[in-house]
Amino acid sequence: MKIAKQARRDAKGLFRDCIRDGLLDENRVREVVRRVLEAKPRGYIAILSHFHRLVKLDVERRTARVESATPLESRLQTKVQADLTKLYGRGLEISFKENAALLGGLRIKVGSDVYDGSIQAKLAALRESF
Amino acid sequence: MSTILQEIEAEIAGAKMATAKQNVGTVREIGDGVARVEGLTDAMLNEMLDFGHGITGLALNLEETEVGAIILGDYTEIEEGDEVRTTGKLLQVPVGKGLLGRVVDALGEPLDDKGPVKSELAYPVEKIAPGIIRRKQVSQPVQTGIMAIDAMIPIGRGQRELIIGDRSTGKTTLGIDTIINQARLNHAAEAAGNKDYRPLYCIYVAVGQKRSNVARIINVFEEHGAMAYTTIISASASDSATNQYLAPFAGAAMGEWFMDNGMDALIIYDDLSKHAVAYRQVSLVLKRPSGREAYPGDVFYLHSRLLERSARVSEKYGNGSLTALPIIETQAGDVAAYIPTNVISITDGQIFLETDLFYQGIRPAISVGISVSRVGSTAQVKAMKQVAGRIKLDLAQFRELAAFAQFGSDLDAKTQAQIERGKRIVEVFKQPQYNPVPLEVQVAVLWTVQNGFIDDVPVDRVKDFQTKLTDFLTSRKNELMARILKEGALSDTLTADLKAAVTEFKETYK
Ligand SMILES: Nc1ncnc2c1ncn2[C@@H]1O[C@H](COP(=O)(O)OP(=O)(O)OP(=O)(O)O)[C@@H](O)[C@H]1O
Ligand SMILES: [Mg+2]
Repeated sequence: MKIAKQARRDAKGLFRDCIRDGLLDENRVREVVRRVLEAKPRGYIAILSHFHRLVKLDVERRTARVESATPLESRLQTKVQADLTKLYGRGLEISFKENAALLGGLRIKVGSDVYDGSIQAKLAALRESF
Repeated sequence: MSTILQEIEAEIAGAKMATAKQNVGTVREIGDGVARVEGLTDAMLNEMLDFGHGITGLALNLEETEVGAIILGDYTEIEEGDEVRTTGKLLQVPVGKGLLGRVVDALGEPLDDKGPVKSELAYPVEKIAPGIIRRKQVSQPVQTGIMAIDAMIPIGRGQRELIIGDRSTGKTTLGIDTIINQARLNHAAEAAGNKDYRPLYCIYVAVGQKRSNVARIINVFEEHGAMAYTTIISASASDSATNQYLAPFAGAAMGEWFMDNGMDALIIYDDLSKHAVAYRQVSLVLKRPSGREAYPGDVFYLHSRLLERSARVSEKYGNGSLTALPIIETQAGDVAAYIPTNVISITDGQIFLETDLFYQGIRPAISVGISVSRVGSTAQVKAMKQVAGRIKLDLAQFRELAAFAQFGSDLDAKTQAQIERGKRIVEVFKQPQYNPVPLEVQVAVLWTVQNGFIDDVPVDRVKDFQTKLTDFLTSRKNELMARILKEGALSDTLTADLKAAVTEFKETYK
């Protein structure tokens, strides 16, 4: 238990060191992982796994997944991109994906925020209300 | 054609973005009724979380990377990777008069067969207690119908009085008797069309008890016509620790509704020892740090925030009140254990029940010496104050003298008389269960004791004398009794009439 706590604290410190100008610096992340694996400090596996988790959450927070039933036209893509950047600031990685199950509309997920304007979600809400 | 449709859809989605925003997370770990959820960055403390399948959870631990939530209901259906949503709502229960006469669980769902609970309003389970400005000093009595309490440890509306004692010393019975007496008073006021009477609605919260016990209590209430004014909240021993932890807070929310609407309510938490144990379990599975006796560090705050919600609200804010009678079970009379000391320090007094007294046949087994009510005496009816003023002291002195007299030394006449009086007072205060005594009868009997009318009655016949005197007064002198109740104080003429009545009775008593 003690080790786990210390490992979490260390991982957090390392994670903080990887932030440059408010954004996660990928090169530094690689560097940190390499250095830790070289030095093998006490509980380094625990440190790295918590570090991995923090990075994963940060990446998720900065990743927007835009899903639509049919491929989005490039003009729309630019607009969604601009809107999201306005909302979440720079450094947002945006990926576009097709998902026929949505039937229509868009579903956007940024970190744990979800904007669901898909027909599928509306049908589900309708079903719930019965 | 398809692009224009897409364009419109995207526009609409964009317009709805602000409103349709949801916060989701995924279940990382599930077990013991606790889920650890990754994401959910917007979750609030005590917010209800939607786990799908109609299952609700309660966010209790907000950590850096995840949220620890307890599951209300069956958690076996939830799987790792399931999506969880915030709801923006705090946990709430139905409140209102529709709950009277009902038996419900910790979430306000009915456990009886009387159909759904009729209620339009819901209150959050966790609510901040009334502030200092809104409060008022306790000034109206709660008539428990238990002579020893009404005379020596009076309780006021809005007070928090702890009932504490070992197992099976009659703790629950004190609570039940109090509720039965309220039913009696409420019925009487209704029958007399008394509009000024403020009924006391009752809430009985059973935490971690056997179901058979709760069923027995419901039966007693029904037999005495008390259910109509009472709500029972049951989170029995076989319910989850989560529900046992929530039940008292749900009860407090239901009581607060009465207080907020200018009415008076009484809530009995039976008992907070088991509640603390349930909370300890919840905390341990949530991996919160544990302290003394493995209780989490905030177990004190758990009970203080619960009991602080009982209050008397001033006229400006509706004049309502919520009286609390928390119950604590001790081990071998140890009031210095962790949970008992905590609760003693946040209540306005305690009624201490002793195993020894209980087995000596002194029931209710109240240990008068260490039982106190710190605020209730301001609420005591004047007539009661007149006759009971000195009785607590007399009784305490008697206990000391009696211990002293055991050594067989010669006693002077005055001490002897004090001991003889004490023995009779002890007898008078014995009272069978489910048998509340009306205030006016209590006053008359205590007046009789104080004025030496029972000094020549043999100790083993005191109870018989008391019963027959009560019969005589309530049947033949019911007008006098009604006057005592109405005037609320013993004036000279009233005293003279009472004296005449008691003298008349004594002449016929054999
Ligand atoms: N005033 C009384 N006169 C006679 N019997 C009584 C009286 N009060 C309680 N009893 C009896 O004593 C027993 C224990 O009472 P009760 O259940 O109220 O105690 P308790 O302290 O709540 O017990 P537990 O620890 O099990 O919760 C019951 O069988 C009850 O009938
Ligand atoms: Mg009990």
